[in-house]
Amino acid sequence: MNPRTRHALELVLDNLVWFMLVFVLVVFSIFIPNYFQLGIFANIIEASSVLGVMSIGLALVIIAGHMDLSVESVAALSAMAVGILFCSSGIGLGVQVHPEWLMVPVSLLLALAVGGLIGAFNGFLVVKVKMSAFIITLASYIWVRGLVLVISGGRSAQDLAPAIRWFGIQRLIGLPLTAWIAIACFVVFSLILAKTPFGRHLVMIGGNETATFRAGIRVNRNLIIAFVLAGAIAGLAGWLLAIRTSGATANLGVGLLFNAFAAVVIGGVSLKGGVGTLPGVYAGVLLLSAINTAINLMGLPANFTQVIHGLLVLAAVLLDAFKQTIRQRLA
Amino acid sequence: MKRILLAVFGILALAFATLTPAIAQSKGTVYYLVPTLLDEFQTGSVSALELFLKQVGYDFKSLNADNKTDAQQSQMNDVIALKPAAIVLAAVDFNALKPSIEAARAAGIPVVEFDRQITSTPSDFTSVAGTVEIGYVAADQAEKLLKAKNGSVKGKVLQVLGDPGDPYTLDIQKGFEEKMKAFPDVKIISLPAMQWEASNAGTIVADQMLANPDIDLIFSHAAHLSVAAVASLEAAGKKPGDVMLMSSNGAPVGLDLIRKGWLNVEVEQPLYAQAAAVAMFMDKVVKKEEIKPGEYDVLGLKSTVTKEAWGPNIKIPGAAITKENVDNPAFWGNQKPPTDTVKPVE
Repeated sequence: MNPRTRHALELVLDNLVWFMLVFVLVVFSIFIPNYFQLGIFANIIEASSVLGVMSIGLALVIIAGHMDLSVESVAALSAMAVGILFCSSGIGLGVQVHPEWLMVPVSLLLALAVGGLIGAFNGFLVVKVKMSAFIITLASYIWVRGLVLVISGGRSAQDLAPAIRWFGIQRLIGLPLTAWIAIACFVVFSLILAKTPFGRHLVMIGGNETATFRAGIRVNRNLIIAFVLAGAIAGLAGWLLAIRTSGATANLGVGLLFNAFAAVVIGGVSLKGGVGTLPGVYAGVLLLSAINTAINLMGLPANFTQVIHGLLVLAAVLLDAFKQTIRQRLA
Repeated sequence: MKRILLAVFGILALAFATLTPAIAQSKGTVYYLVPTLLDEFQTGSVSALELFLKQVGYDFKSLNADNKTDAQQSQMNDVIALKPAAIVLAAVDFNALKPSIEAARAAGIPVVEFDRQITSTPSDFTSVAGTVEIGYVAADQAEKLLKAKNGSVKGKVLQVLGDPGDPYTLDIQKGFEEKMKAFPDVKIISLPAMQWEASNAGTIVADQMLANPDIDLIFSHAAHLSVAAVASLEAAGKKPGDVMLMSSNGAPVGLDLIRKGWLNVEVEQPLYAQAAAVAMFMDKVVKKEEIKPGEYDVLGLKSTVTKEAWGPNIKIPGAAITKENVDNPAFWGNQKPPTDTVKPVE
């Protein structure tokens, strides 16, 4: 095999999920009426904003060789905190901040702080107390959702302050600002993961924690930062979720965790850690969103979504094994 | 030391004297098995049942099943062991709880069905608005709205269902579509918002408004789904009145949307009346006395008790809430529980 062919083949293997996304979009555009239009593509990107942002945090922890099952509940808690303070209907307190635009940074900081605190709590127990990340974050997944119920009493907060809601309505090049925020997050964190020592250390830790520690890298500190980041990013996802639905309900975001896992796996992140890139995760998120939109437009029963998601995850794992085989042959 | 002992004894005696009448007044404990608390109607049902059952002399405890059938079955088994005066059940799954209901009744514990009718096995009493009937009321309102807009009953309706695994939403769909069959010029697009999650409803509306820009009416099976639908319409540059909206359950957020001009109709589940009916008949249920069929006044609503194959059943009519009557305090969405005390039926 000549070097050019090898290079082309490696490029395809590295970006397989993007090729899958293009293939799926082409097929849907041909066969589903009304699918091929800019508005629908904008909807796909918009609908994937919350899931996309949540998947970033999850991917960081998984790449570092751990697990964070609490991101869905953390997003819900952040959304509810923002909803209770800055909504004017339901259980919303309608807190006013002057000038009005200050509500944006204040609400965003609140969401990030709520998420970051829970992330720090998870990180501390996993890294310092040496407890299983799976168990700790599973517990957080449960108690944080319970906390959402406690602070809301099962009621909703609606009518988010217009200054915050503006991000869900205002469009730039046909996309709402919430979608641009998600895209910006992917760009920033992709660069952090690929180009900074912290990002490279996370990948190394996920690949071989002991070897990384012996190489003099501060494993514990980096892991705690990863958990805090996952929590804070989930908080940001919650902020976007509150904007998207103009408030918060006690069951907001239910089911997002498994979609986030699906997106991360489809995007090529290994659950064993040490392997994966965020652009791949974004492609995975867009792929799921494209399929959901297709199901909406075809009027298929929504249960099909779960079947297709499951099969996609399975396909991604099989493709990953297939990729490894081809790589070994190329080597 | 003696003084301290005397003081403690005095306090204990006083507490016992205070508590004794209360214990004597209680007719026993009623357990309410609520399907979930992630929903304003269900949260409201706990408060309403507690309020009314205490008025008629019962202690009240509630258990939340988190929308899990198996959890509710376990709760039923646990509660049966506690031998309460009665169990009020709002089933997660209408049929899966049948063995548990039979087990409770075999143990001599009366079972009251609340809000979710179980017809596969007898119960001691059932208090419902009727989920299929909510669909009927919604269809009547859709007929009026479409006729007013298009001159005749024609057009496109987007029906945003709740979770496709929830019998509650399937019943509303059944009632709605059954009545709408009379209008062949109405096209209904039905899509479920998985797990009743609001952002799923928002995505459905955003997609459908692009694929079918001529949608006349959006009917969501819960008010909180309408909130997400409105958020999507707003993001698409729509104003109140551009697309007609309707939802069911009568939650506070739905009433707010009516006041803001987004929502045309909210089909109410008469939460207060449903709960009051349970309290009104609880003595008869506990004493296993006959509940006579006929018309009863429940918080001012004419309600009908019938003898069905599954036992005595009270059906309380759900009202259509519009901007004309949205401020009526009788609607539970206005969060003003009735001040009148419920009286047991003699």
